[in-house]
Amino acid sequence: MDRIIETDDPRVFIEEMEKLNVPGSKRINADTKNVEKGLVKLVLALVELIRGLIEKQAIKRIESGSLSDEEIERIGETLMKLENKMQELKEIFQLKDEDLSLNLGPLRDLI
Amino acid sequence: MKIYSYCIIDSKERIGDGHIRGLNGAPVYNIPYRDMGIVVNNLNGDIKDLTKSHLLEHENVVEMLMKNFTVLPLRSGALFNREEEVLHVMEKFYGDFRSNLDRLINKVEFGIKIIWSGDNIRGEILKDHASSSHFLAATKDSPGKMFIMGKFEKYKIERALKEKAEICIAFADNFLNRFAFEKKLEKLISTNLLLNAFYLVDKERQRDFKEAFELLRIAPDNFKYLFSGPWPPYNFIRMGE
Amino acid sequence: MDNVYTRSKDIALIEILDRVLDKGVVISGDIVISVADVDLIYVGLKVLLSSVETMNRLKWAEVPCPESPGNL
Repeated sequence: MDRIIETDDPRVFIEEMEKLNVPGSKRINADTKNVEKGLVKLVLALVELIRGLIEKQAIKRIESGSLSDEEIERIGETLMKLENKMQELKEIFQLKDEDLSLNLGPLRDLI
Repeated sequence: MKIYSYCIIDSKERIGDGHIRGLNGAPVYNIPYRDMGIVVNNLNGDIKDLTKSHLLEHENVVEMLMKNFTVLPLRSGALFNREEEVLHVMEKFYGDFRSNLDRLINKVEFGIKIIWSGDNIRGEILKDHASSSHFLAATKDSPGKMFIMGKFEKYKIERALKEKAEICIAFADNFLNRFAFEKKLEKLISTNLLLNAFYLVDKERQRDFKEAFELLRIAPDNFKYLFSGPWPPYNFIRMGE
Repeated sequence: MDNVYTRSKDIALIEILDRVLDKGVVISGDIVISVADVDLIYVGLKVLLSSVETMNRLKWAEVPCPESPGNL
């Protein structure tokens, strides 16, 4: 069988696939001027990762009914402050959400 | 002079007698190692940047070889300085290469992608969940609780979306996996890309697989489908096991 | 008007590049850290090799082709 490529809507597929990472984008540029920004990005990406995990844990406990109202209020307030702080830091370092996403491959579903 | 490599093949024989051309038009040849070989060509002068056409040439070489051999395609870009280095790699990975060749004999890869309208589906789910958002009004005096409960709502929507995706993907997979030895499913990697799937199919069952896809495609949904293949088994190489 | 034939070529290109650039047997590491455009460090999730080089950089060069004006 010769190679076939078939779709009834090529445009839509091209749009979607271009939204995903460009192939070959696994090279990390460590030139001097990029190094600092790269480190900040890495640190904030890790903070964001942890923030997301804590948030998810909190939600799971709320859903299972194992938190009291005061506990919900307290953890909600803490997470809200953390999210606001992250927003500030992103603005200071001019980083977008996409800049902070770590490519975790098979571990993606943890988040 | 560097040696650029394309794939491992299940043969130690010479190939093509220079008929197959690769990057920079150089003739491609097989460096044998025990009962297999690595297909390469010599590059005079360095290539600093891989261009689109180099990559197409690379794939072209692998696909031509796929007609007559079992191939393990290499990711593009592997360059060696000397033949000794090539043989060193072959020695180091012989076991992995051998077991992959044995597993992949006579098999080809197909790619299936499905697009759905993620925003529309999320909209429908939101409507179903609308009733439970009344509690938010009651939490005005507890900003922390309001914040986290808002996150909770979002989480429930996303979970419902994932569940719907699982159902649709399982439906599609049901049609396709009966002719596949192995499969790799990437589920909902973006709002609209419901599925990016790779199937490892026996060469003899290619047409059956295509027919199964045609049956799936006529299902009464608003989804868009993409079919591509046969490809060399890029997504089914297992190293280091 | 959308030239379906052109777009299908673009899709073929994306499908090929996804495989040739990111999949297949990797014998030189998964991530390359590049300093001043010289690839120095190979961070392999599985294996490391010292005697294999990889290309310096990937650049999308425009392939002259009358039916596909688009760039990836």
